[in-house]
Amino acid sequence: MRFLVEPTGVGDLDDLVAAGEAVRRSGLDGVLLGATPLVSAPLVAAAALAARVEGIRIAAEVEVGASHPIEVAEEAAVVDVASGGRLILVATPAPGREDRFGEALDLLRTAFAPAPFLFEGATWRVPAGLPANEHNLERRARLTPSPVQPRLELWASGAGRDAALERAAGFLAGPDDDPRDLSAAWDRAAAALGPAGIGAARARREPWDGDAAALVARLRAGRAAFGQSWAVVAAPGAAAPALSRWVRPRVQTDGLPEGLEAHWDATLPR
Amino acid sequence: MSAPAFDAVGVGLWTMQSTAAAPASPTELYEWFAEDAALAERLGFRSVWSAEHRAWYDGWCPALLHAQAFAAARTERVRFGHAILLVPQHDPLRLARSLATLDRLSGGRVDLGAGLGHRDAEFDMVGLRRDRRGRLMDAALDTMAAVWAGEHGDAPPAQSPGPPIWVGGMAPQAIARAASRGHGLMLPQTLRPHELRRIIDDYRGQAGRPGTVGALRDVWVEADGRRAQEFRRKVDAHFREEAGSWWVLKGQVGFLQPEQMDRQLARIYDTEVVGPPEQAAEELNALFAAGVEFLVLRVNFDFVERAELREKLHLLAEEVVPLLEPAPAAAV
Repeated sequence: MRFLVEPTGVGDLDDLVAAGEAVRRSGLDGVLLGATPLVSAPLVAAAALAARVEGIRIAAEVEVGASHPIEVAEEAAVVDVASGGRLILVATPAPGREDRFGEALDLLRTAFAPAPFLFEGATWRVPAGLPANEHNLERRARLTPSPVQPRLELWASGAGRDAALERAAGFLAGPDDDPRDLSAAWDRAAAALGPAGIGAARARREPWDGDAAALVARLRAGRAAFGQSWAVVAAPGAAAPALSRWVRPRVQTDGLPEGLEAHWDATLPR
Repeated sequence: MSAPAFDAVGVGLWTMQSTAAAPASPTELYEWFAEDAALAERLGFRSVWSAEHRAWYDGWCPALLHAQAFAAARTERVRFGHAILLVPQHDPLRLARSLATLDRLSGGRVDLGAGLGHRDAEFDMVGLRRDRRGRLMDAALDTMAAVWAGEHGDAPPAQSPGPPIWVGGMAPQAIARAASRGHGLMLPQTLRPHELRRIIDDYRGQAGRPGTVGALRDVWVEADGRRAQEFRRKVDAHFREEAGSWWVLKGQVGFLQPEQMDRQLARIYDTEVVGPPEQAAEELNALFAAGVEFLVLRVNFDFVERAELREKLHLLAEEVVPLLEPAPAAAV
């Protein structure tokens, strides 16, 4: 199981950096940034965080479909380059534009690949080939810079589930999504994709109220129900040590040897 | 540290290019930008400026606000501007939110340099007609003001009513747009003092609330004549690549119009400031005397090596800026 923290209680950049540092020191995988009043453009905050905290993965959840996906692709590529390849792009359908989401994912992935391309979708054509742009000599477009990651880690969230699963992209479920629905959706995808579906992230947002035992139970249940491989925990940076010392060791392997948890309880601070 | 003249001077331009003439690691370019911004801050410059393009072979940065967020997180006082950001090629709502986010995270250190863009391939990539760019600009400026005023439910930017805006360009429409909206101007680097004076007079005479007048200048502080010529040769090659590939001159790109291109390059040669500190200061003071209130000194190009860049930033700050005489009333 891999762990991202979606930091709560962030009022300014220093708070964000402090949360990122706590995650890094605890050895967790990274931070997820969604839209908040402070951060209405999560990819901008991802770049700022990358400048101050080394090593951790930085996930940014971005609405896709209301505007041209090339702009999102360029921003993601720049953040991936600036961060040295640490970005996870979490695309979520813009409200009212869910119908375009699958095409948007296709365009993002086409643009992240290093070859010049012609993309012809129902909504977007790139390059557009508009006659008014008479001095355009390009019959193929090229997104630059290229992301550092050869295949930039791309997840979906929200109503983007089925479009993402069909494309073997990762999916970040909500905390209240029905585990049986999730299981059925991933089973359908696995059946449709075969081996091509192996390895895509199966993530879920997790609430945090300080009860580590309850989170362990949720994660074990998530793994059993739908093969959960990532936990995205909404918590303050101060919770990072509890996640890394108490929760993570208990969900990394399928089971624990008899007596190990009792040993931890006896020897480690709570 | 900060003499008054520093308030009237920024440095540029960071573009993140890895060109045939000067290949570089893309990730290192962003790291260097953050380091350079920190140096500019220590030296006392008011701001560092970046320029946008997209869809070119050299990785030219198409997302300036993200590059600037990276550098802003490593600095405390220096401001971040654009000379320029291609506003019509962006979604206005997203651009407004990215600017507001950068403004909040940086503690209000953003100057939006709003330009139109000129390259058909860039408009075509994002599905837009270049000939609609003026209308797109006006709509985007309206949308940004509305978003920053909270009309879409957003928190306000750190600066009120939003990041200061400098309209790029010298066309009559750009001047009218800037004056009528109360924005500043950011004029290109190839204008001679008498041309600047004419444009600035026009701007000041417009109805509306004209703002601050900025101008770009390519500057290289170099006392050695042979090395000065070497810089001029590299600038020529740099702009020949850009003009030859992109600039439409008499209906064709520059490489197909060599005489037109030579004329453009001659103008760049004539207007770039290359020489010892006293001479550089004298030429720059002529721009202030012509009515320019803020100068973006371009010292960074793809071909400029790291050690050279840092040396030139020091020279500018320590030997040129103290000799500058901006108008005392410059309200930047």
